[in-house]
Amino acid sequence: MVPHISAETIRRWVPLFVLLGLVLFFTALNPHFFSVRNFARIAISATPALMVAVGVTFVILMGSIDLSMEGTIAVAAVMFALILNRLGGSVVGVGGLAIPGALVVGAALGAINGLIHVKLKIPSFMASLSLGFVGVGLSLLITGGDRILIDDPVFRSLLTVRFGGFPLMTYVALFCLVVAWFIQANTTIGRNFYAIGGGEELARGSGLNVGRLRIIAFVIAGVFYALGAILAVARLGIAETETGRNFMFVSITSVVVGGTALAGGSGGVWNTLIGVLIVNVIGNGMVVIGLPDYFQDGMLGLLVISAVYLSMDRRAFSFVK
Amino acid sequence: MSFIKNYIEQQMLNRRKLLLLSAYGLCGAAFGASVRPGRAAPASRDIKVAWSYRDRTNPYWNGIVSGGEAFVESLGWSSGDLINLINGGSSEKSLSDVKSLLSRYGNKTALAIDPNDMPNCRPVVEAVSQAGAYVSTIWNKTDDLHPWDFGDNYVSHMTWSDVQPSEQTARVLFDAMGGKGGVVHLGGIASNNPAIERLKGLKNALKSYPNIELLAVQAADWDTQKANQVMSGFLTRYGDAIKGVHCASDTMAYGVIEALRAEGTENIPVVSYDGNAQAVQMVAQGKLLATVFTNPHWAGGITASLAYHAAIGSFKPSKEPKEHREFYGPAMVVTTKDAKDFKAKYIDSNPQYNWNDFWALAKGPIQYDT
Repeated sequence: MVPHISAETIRRWVPLFVLLGLVLFFTALNPHFFSVRNFARIAISATPALMVAVGVTFVILMGSIDLSMEGTIAVAAVMFALILNRLGGSVVGVGGLAIPGALVVGAALGAINGLIHVKLKIPSFMASLSLGFVGVGLSLLITGGDRILIDDPVFRSLLTVRFGGFPLMTYVALFCLVVAWFIQANTTIGRNFYAIGGGEELARGSGLNVGRLRIIAFVIAGVFYALGAILAVARLGIAETETGRNFMFVSITSVVVGGTALAGGSGGVWNTLIGVLIVNVIGNGMVVIGLPDYFQDGMLGLLVISAVYLSMDRRAFSFVK
Repeated sequence: MSFIKNYIEQQMLNRRKLLLLSAYGLCGAAFGASVRPGRAAPASRDIKVAWSYRDRTNPYWNGIVSGGEAFVESLGWSSGDLINLINGGSSEKSLSDVKSLLSRYGNKTALAIDPNDMPNCRPVVEAVSQAGAYVSTIWNKTDDLHPWDFGDNYVSHMTWSDVQPSEQTARVLFDAMGGKGGVVHLGGIASNNPAIERLKGLKNALKSYPNIELLAVQAADWDTQKANQVMSGFLTRYGDAIKGVHCASDTMAYGVIEALRAEGTENIPVVSYDGNAQAVQMVAQGKLLATVFTNPHWAGGITASLAYHAAIGSFKPSKEPKEHREFYGPAMVVTTKDAKDFKAKYIDSNPQYNWNDFWALAKGPIQYDT
């Protein structure tokens, strides 16, 4: 007898099948695709985006949205580079303070974002989008439009030193992902994010301080954006306002493609990992098989639509807004 | 918060400079009036000089603005007297900024502008000439639009032909590759004119190097991070077959070089375009083989100067020959041989340009494909 597989189970595993399907597809067209060296390349391009996408996952789980990442990344990257260069230019020794420094910057911007959203009762979409613009402007003011170069070989070893074929930054990102998973699955705060996303009125009625939890989610998101900023700087050795560019599109797309519902309450950081890999495998694979880039954007667009469609049981909705 | 302190200090310094320069400017004006008795000194202070451009996150536009500021300072004004209109890549914003500026200052406006895209040039120029103001444009203009059709108000248009310099960098690259092997090209946004011309230059050079194979062309949208990803894709697809990389801009070359560095293969030669400070530095260090410098500082100053001097009547644009109304800007190939001298002269400092010598660096009239 064929065991019964529910639609829900299929829905949960679809993103992973899509990822495997893409890998098979690209490998069939160009066997070079399936090699450790290429997977390392995909990993390098995916790690900063993974951190950012994991950050925004927490916010999306609550049914809110955060679009401030480009500004937050720009400010965190630039502040990281400034502190590092001011304190001797090496992460070994005092210069290492640049890392907590950048994380504090990310947390602070996240806190402001959350406070504006909760205290002024401005929809998260608008509050975070506006704050993102403020961040871009701020980083421009700090740098005057210049690029800051990071030449510290110890810091750049995140990219240049490899274990098992993958650069150090991959392992750093995986470690942070596990921390995020721990927050999501094993802390009260993490469980409460799901509660808010599943039904805010119910969560409020059960005595949860929803406002406080929302602010915490934005702070956690800000810290992960800062991690993404540090890894993005490690990847290119350049910190500038442009460092944040394109992360909004990539991270939101990844979260959605990974199967986390925009309405909140379902999904999580492992979905996000799959989503980030899907987006980066497409980016890499399109070049590897030699398709022009407009196909790439078009294919991503189609994937987002199908992912959003599959992420929830649409029959439950009578209308969408 | 040292950047705020720096900013305040800078502003105070600017104020001091302004006082000194305006004192100097007054003396100069008095001197000018005294040696040219037949002609009243123009009421130049009434004219507002504005620069309209894309953004401040790009070294190119920062170079343009630094030139514009150097020009207004040469008038004895402070750099803050240059009005900055930033369109952020939107033609609609570019046009509405210009209209607001015109409704405020009317025919007292001297505007230097990159209209962001070609179709936007006409409405900008028409708005300016209706207001009786003066405009000089760079980069974006349709082929059927000419300054001489607008009398004096459309002062000039400068653009750059990137085909020839891009061909030169390609030749430098091919020679470094020993005249054989595979090359990949990372281009700008596919519909942008410079992206098209820079690729064309590469293809022209290919004709005289039969053993060089162009493996792939891919747009990386002038973006460092995207170029980084595209280059790693290329490495998977072609591996060791890639012997050289031709980039349409410096910003993309940075991403390419980091992608190569991640693989531990840093000896593949790379050439680029734009001559940004960081790129010239890299050429001097031998990390980059060549780039092309288009002198945004001079372009920013001279474009503002042309509009300003037409506005105060120093020269009458309609009396000038056509090659003074539409012309190519300068382009210099910087290679490892001359990078150090070049850096000292053009990057670490800016040469003192004579902003009244409008066509000093111009490279002849614009040619149209018919």
